[in-house]
Amino acid sequence: MTEARASAERGAGDAVLRRFLVRPEAPALAFLAVLLVVFTLANDRFLTASNLESIVDSVAVLGVIALAVNQVILCGEIDISTGSMLGLCAIAAGAVSLSTGGLLLPLLAGVAVGALAGALNGALVTLGRIPAIIVTLGMLYALRGVILLVTGGTWITGVPEATRFLGTGNVLGISVPVIILFALFLVMELVNRNSTWGRNVLAVGGNRVAARFAGLPVNRVRFLAFALVGVFVGIASLIYLGRAGSVQTNTGVGLELQAVAAVVIGGTRISGGRGSALAALTGAVLIGVILNGLVLLGVPGIWQQAVLGALILLAVATDVLRRRLVGDKS
Amino acid sequence: MSTLAATMRRLRFSRELVLLGVLIVLVLVMSLLSPLFFTLGNLLNTSRFFVEVGLMALGMTLIIITGGIDLSVGSNLGLSSVAVGFTFAAGLPLPLAILFGLVVGTSAGLFNGLFITLLELHPLVVTLGTFALFQGLAYGVTGAEAVSDFPAWFAYFGQAYLGPIPGQLFVFVVAVAVVWIILSRTRFGRYVYAIGNNEEAARFSGVPIRRVKISLYSGIGLLVGMAAVIYTSRVSTARGDSGLGLELAVISAVVLGGASIYGGSGTIAGTVLGVLIIATLQNGLILAGVPSTWQLFVLGVLLLVAVFLNEFFRQKEE
Repeated sequence: MTEARASAERGAGDAVLRRFLVRPEAPALAFLAVLLVVFTLANDRFLTASNLESIVDSVAVLGVIALAVNQVILCGEIDISTGSMLGLCAIAAGAVSLSTGGLLLPLLAGVAVGALAGALNGALVTLGRIPAIIVTLGMLYALRGVILLVTGGTWITGVPEATRFLGTGNVLGISVPVIILFALFLVMELVNRNSTWGRNVLAVGGNRVAARFAGLPVNRVRFLAFALVGVFVGIASLIYLGRAGSVQTNTGVGLELQAVAAVVIGGTRISGGRGSALAALTGAVLIGVILNGLVLLGVPGIWQQAVLGALILLAVATDVLRRRLVGDKS
Repeated sequence: MSTLAATMRRLRFSRELVLLGVLIVLVLVMSLLSPLFFTLGNLLNTSRFFVEVGLMALGMTLIIITGGIDLSVGSNLGLSSVAVGFTFAAGLPLPLAILFGLVVGTSAGLFNGLFITLLELHPLVVTLGTFALFQGLAYGVTGAEAVSDFPAWFAYFGQAYLGPIPGQLFVFVVAVAVVWIILSRTRFGRYVYAIGNNEEAARFSGVPIRRVKISLYSGIGLLVGMAAVIYTSRVSTARGDSGLGLELAVISAVVLGGASIYGGSGTIAGTVLGVLIIATLQNGLILAGVPSTWQLFVLGVLLLVAVFLNEFFRQKEE
């Protein structure tokens, strides 16, 4: 602690560096900048507007989910059911779309199913007092079971063009998934900075006992975070449906891990209380850049999972070291 | 005599007795659903399938008692299975390949233990990371290929019968005995409970917390390695996706057996009953002609119900 202070007083340059290091997103942002430079030097087609747009496009589903999972992790919980949840929402949206067409009804169906599943997670965690990891692990498998039951193992294909707008559309020359991702990012930044619930999420995650003694509605705060995940997964399912045009029974498998990875890699602390929507967005984009870079470097896609696992471990280890460096003991 | 009386008194209200009741009821229901269920052949045959989950559940019990968790056991099983199969395919003699599989399993566990204790991170996030890492390594190293041309004697580990009894059942019984003695009759076992009840207090009482935790995660790695050898032998195939989702069955069995997910309590007897209940349920559902797609759903819901009831009754008791 004192060492870190002393080093901070050594000079103005150190002070700026320290102020940057204190931010939880610092390692991820620095890493992202380095990667962008490296890939730009390695391949002159990397730093083009269209390639960058396609990278963000490809992580829009992941990013939207990560923004909500970020809130759950910020309040000291975890949600690893989002992969199966996305599959179920996409099936609901796809089925409605096949019978009615249009965009609004499928979107409502996806969001409703997601909100229901998210609310169930929240109720089991808060009212049932079951740890979130167990609840969402159980739901990960239970919801996948529901998917297999309702579809009987068949795919949903031939989704009408109108429904696919959120995944394939264009507004003012910018692709819709990118717009949705950045819009929701701005919303979550504002919520975290300015809304009561946003501040409460950080308080509950920082110290749940203190939050309860301060009179905060701890259970309601956590319940809303889980419900929000459901709503965002519902929105993401329409982006998925638009991009893929079909739903399989294994849609979303492994996504739960990527969402947690994005949040943690971005710099939100896994034990809660510290982090930001920017961390979730940075983490998601970083995963997109790395996967894109692996393709550019010719690494077989089969290594993706290993890279993801290594990234999670690297991210949490870096965070521990960063905190030891700046003397942040909390 | 007095110890006998004390045992009787303890038995009367024990959770294990309740679980035994559940198991008996389950067996009766399954017997009604399918005439094939309550035959000696089927019951012994069922035991071939739960040994792998059972071995991992033994290690998981101790880890959950310390308040930790290991989500990477399923992926580690795939990695260890691949380690056996692909070193053998590359020309290593099979006994050495099996040894290598055990070493890989143990090392993977050791890696978890070191990462958790040295960086003081929650086991949840570390094993979530290694869950992806081990599985990814198993896929990447093998290129998602499988090895299945094992010599006939390899089948000994997973397909042999001694009389009517499957060979791996003996392995399980010995493992149960060893882990039971460690947990309830040694100083190490008391350390495990002490850490789970209050880690801070245990630290100030001089419990070597890091050493205990590293041993536990390495230990479950070894058990996973053993399970991987048995599994690979049973299905005669080494693939990266072996063991996919097994962590759910393992954790379900342990919490069904009465271990508190918050740490501090749990028994080997409870876990063994939990394993038997899940195995009975799965086997019974198959025999009763319930589609296998239901099984994920049933297992997921079972996990939730088990934890809920567990914590509910614990709060009542307190």
